[in-house]
Amino acid sequence: MHFDWSTLILQTVNVLVLLWLLRRFLFRPVVAIIAERKNTAEKLLTDAASKMQSAQTQAEQTALHEKALASDGDRILADARASAQTERTTTLDAARLEADKMRAAAQAELETQRNQMRLDLDSQARQLAVAIASRLLGRVPRSAVDAALLEALDTTWSPDQWNGLAAAGETLEVVTASPLEAAMQAACTTMIQKRLGCSVQFATDPSLIAGVELRGPHARLHNNWRADLDSIAEELSHDDKTIVMA
Amino acid sequence: MMGSPLTLTVAFQIGPVAITTPVLATWAIMVVLAVGSCLLTRHMSLHPSTRQAALEVVVEAIEAQIRDTMRVEPAPYVPLIGTLFLFIFAANWSSLVPGVEPPTAHLETDAALALIVFFAVIWFGVRSRGLRGYFATFAEPSILMVPLNIVETMTRTFSLVVRLFGNVMSGVFVVGIVLSLVGLLVPVPLMALDLLTGAVQAYIFSVLAMVFIAGVLGEPKPEKEK
Repeated sequence: MHFDWSTLILQTVNVLVLLWLLRRFLFRPVVAIIAERKNTAEKLLTDAASKMQSAQTQAEQTALHEKALASDGDRILADARASAQTERTTTLDAARLEADKMRAAAQAELETQRNQMRLDLDSQARQLAVAIASRLLGRVPRSAVDAALLEALDTTWSPDQWNGLAAAGETLEVVTASPLEAAMQAACTTMIQKRLGCSVQFATDPSLIAGVELRGPHARLHNNWRADLDSIAEELSHDDKTIVMA
Repeated sequence: MMGSPLTLTVAFQIGPVAITTPVLATWAIMVVLAVGSCLLTRHMSLHPSTRQAALEVVVEAIEAQIRDTMRVEPAPYVPLIGTLFLFIFAANWSSLVPGVEPPTAHLETDAALALIVFFAVIWFGVRSRGLRGYFATFAEPSILMVPLNIVETMTRTFSLVVRLFGNVMSGVFVVGIVLSLVGLLVPVPLMALDLLTGAVQAYIFSVLAMVFIAGVLGEPKPEKEK
C-alpha cells in the first residue's frame, strides 16, 4: 500500500475548490432566496398585522363616528321638535292673541254699535215721548197754562236766580208759547220791574209748548214744558248711560 | 475491471505531478456538482418551482441537521458541512458509473477530507474562542489532560479517515471480488448495500465533523425562537 502525497494535496485543493464553488453557486443563492422569502413573508405578515390594526382602528373610528352622527341626529331631531313645538306654541299664542284681539274688537264694535243703536233708540223714544207729550199738552189751552206759569214766576225762582238775569237799565225778554193778553203783560211787566228794575219786552215761541222763558243779557230762566221735557229727556239719557256703563 | 483501491493508477502526468484516477474522478464530480448547482440556481424566485423547492429542501435539511447537532445558527457552517456531505455522497455513489472507482475508496481522498475537517475545527475554534481560548480547551477539564486531548484530536481525525476509507474500500473490494467470481447480476444486491453504506458514511462523516466543530465552540448560544 502506497500513500501518494501529491494526490493528498491535489484532493485537498480539489475539495477546497469544490467548497468554494458550492458556496458560491449553491448554498449562497439558496440561503439568500430562503432568507428573502422569509423576510418577505415576515414583511407581509407585519403589513397584514399593520393593516389589520389600521382596519380595526378605522372600524372603531367609524363606529364612534356613526355613534356621534346618531347622537347628532337625535340632538338635531330633538332640537327641531323643540323648535317646532316652540314655534307652534308661539304661533298658537299669537293666533290666540290675535283672535282675542279680533274678538275683543268685534265685541267692542258690537257693543259700540249696540250702545249707539240703544242711544239712537232712546233718542228716538225720547223724541217720540216728547212729541207725544207735546201733542198731548198741545190740547191743553196754552194761554191758561202760560198765565199760570207766569203767575208762579215770583215764587218759582230764588232771589239770587232773579238777580242774575238782568240789571237795572237792561232789557229782559219774556218769551211765551202763545201771545199774552195785555193785562197779563202789564202784570208781568210790573212784577219784573219791581224785582229787577229793568225794561221788559215780550216775544212768542211755540216750541216752548206752554210756559215762559226769561232771557236776560247774562242768563236765562225756564219755566216751560219744553224745558221740562228736555230736562226729563236729559235725565233719561243720563240714566241710560249709567246703565250702559254698568 | 476496476483495480485495487489500495493502489493508485496514474492517469497522466502534468510535469512532475502525477494525476491519479481519484483526482480525475474528483474533478468530474466537481464539474457535475458545480455545473448542476449553477443550472439549478439560475432562475431562483420567491415562488419556487418544483426543482427549486427540492433544492431548498436539501439545503434546509442540512441547516436543520446543523442546528440540531451543533445547537448554533447554521449559516457559517452550511458550506463546509454541505460540501462534505454532497461530495462524499456523490463520490460514494460514483461507483454506479461503470468503470469509475469512488475517490473515497482511496486513502488520500479520505485523508484530504479529514485534514480539512481538522483545520476547520481549529479555524472555528479560534474564531469562536480566540487563539488562547482555543488552546485552553486542551487543558479541560485538567491540565493533566493536555497530552490526552492532543492525542484525541489526532486520533479522531485519523478515525475519520479510517472509517470512511474502510467502509468504502471494503464495499468496492467485495463487489470486485464477487463480480470476478460469479455472474453479472449477482453483485447487484451488494452494490445496493454499498450505496446505502455510502449514503450512511457521508451522513456519519458530516455529523462527526459537526460534532468536532461544535466541541470547540464557545458556550452554546440559546436557540432563537422560530
